[in-house]
Amino acid sequence: MRPFLSGVMALALLGSTCLVAAPTPAPLPAEQLTVEKLGHMSPHWVYVFDEALNNEIDMRVLAYDGDTYKRLGQIGAGFMAGVNLSPDGKTTVVATSYFSRGGHGTRTDVVEFNDNSTLAKTGEIILPAKHAQTFPMLYDVAYSSDARFLYASYLTPAASFGVLDPVRKTVLGEIDTAGCVLVIPSGPNHVSSICESGRLLTVTLDAKGHEASRATSEPFFDPDRDPIFVQAIPTGGGYAFLSFLGQVHEVDFSQGPPAFRPVWSLVSATEKGAWRPGSVQIGAIQRALGRLYVSMHQGGEGSHKDYGTEIWVFDLKTHQRVARWAFDAKNWGAITALQVSQDRAPLLFAATDHADLVILDAQSGKAKHVETQLGQNPWLLMSP
Amino acid sequence: MHPLDRAFESSARSLAKRTSRRSLLASLGRMLTGAALLPLLPIDRTARAQSAGAAQPDINDARSCDYWKYCAIDGFLCSCCGGSAHSCPPGTQPSPITWIGTCHNPNDDRHYIVSYNDCCGKVSCGSCFCNRNENEKPMYRLSRNNDVNWCMANTEGDYHCSVSVILGVAEK
Repeated sequence: MRPFLSGVMALALLGSTCLVAAPTPAPLPAEQLTVEKLGHMSPHWVYVFDEALNNEIDMRVLAYDGDTYKRLGQIGAGFMAGVNLSPDGKTTVVATSYFSRGGHGTRTDVVEFNDNSTLAKTGEIILPAKHAQTFPMLYDVAYSSDARFLYASYLTPAASFGVLDPVRKTVLGEIDTAGCVLVIPSGPNHVSSICESGRLLTVTLDAKGHEASRATSEPFFDPDRDPIFVQAIPTGGGYAFLSFLGQVHEVDFSQGPPAFRPVWSLVSATEKGAWRPGSVQIGAIQRALGRLYVSMHQGGEGSHKDYGTEIWVFDLKTHQRVARWAFDAKNWGAITALQVSQDRAPLLFAATDHADLVILDAQSGKAKHVETQLGQNPWLLMSP
Repeated sequence: MHPLDRAFESSARSLAKRTSRRSLLASLGRMLTGAALLPLLPIDRTARAQSAGAAQPDINDARSCDYWKYCAIDGFLCSCCGGSAHSCPPGTQPSPITWIGTCHNPNDDRHYIVSYNDCCGKVSCGSCFCNRNENEKPMYRLSRNNDVNWCMANTEGDYHCSVSVILGVAEK
């Protein structure tokens, strides 16, 4: 035998010996099917509302962890839903419609309560078939500050709202709003609606949730020349309403009746009309930092729903722009929604028309992660 | 979905959603100028020649988001769903209530009042999504708002697609 061949045979023999000698791995243990639990809620969780345009009877809320970059689970949201979080963040409330046979049949409007620690539905209130079916925002359904009342916006197209008891799961009543729309809550018993005339209607409720009084403000914006977006941004004591041309109308509800602060501008004289706020959820406020983040784009009349290509950051005390962050819209998509967490290491979340979710450091603007393809149409972001 | 398909779909959706007719003409002009080194068919040359402001074919194409009558439409174009620019697809029901827009027709230089009815009773069509917002107003000016489901008062309230129906010439 040639030395080469004998060497090969020796190696083969050695190899077969090793194979025989190798211990057989133990079989995998039997598994037990379980259901995941979410544990303690994090300020870096974000609830992503997916409009699901191609199958609008099947909208949903996707829970996502901005630290681990994992999708946590899902809440069903039905057809043209309004959604919101309870003041303690423990409940996601969904006001929606279902049809008895999927895409057709008897319409049932309902408010559904979902436990954010399990993402399971825990209860519901059947509404009259009047739920305002519109794009997602925080003023279609909203809690009073003490969570004693829940308000649901109605549109038939006559405008009104329902007052609900979220504990007893009952409808307490319906309040006509004389053409003014949506439910913007303040304090334990005030509800404001925006009127075509540029005024705010504010209804005060009694202990039973019935109308005690109402007041209409003077006009605070011009609906013809420079309308405000209805997507008001909570400031803590009130709301900031942005206008199509970039004016900021801050309304303070901390003393009861709305107090209108001096109007200020997001844009300089040269930027006015060229750079505008836009998208579905146009901005967010980090209350501790006193920062306003706005989705901005270049465009003219009729571009108010154009998605954002930059994020502009403003100091709410000085009204100065403190940063202007370019957004990689080419790769990530343009901004459909903005939200910021309220903790000491805040994250800025930007959803896009690529259905991506971009997570940024809210203080530096540096992108930390891009989660691709989170649903179909992420149009609203909620942060506890 | 393939990344290229996704990118194309996304860019097409973005274009349809974000691009006004005027900026589309400008963009087309830029694209054609950029493609000047490529062999252009006669039709392309014609298009480039027209991009300075004359009518483009797609402003008269009812299946295009740039159709002149769609200046404030928001939804799936019924013309891509078995209907037309002014008819609902078979088996659906038109909404009796609607929002109103005023659109300029470059073909005769007139402004027309159009109603944007929704067609109802089936799930969303899913083809030819289009969102344009010329003179569109927020929900507090409801008759000029395209955000709400105008099938809301129908017996069958599901949203399928949207049409644009000429009501008349707008008086100056």
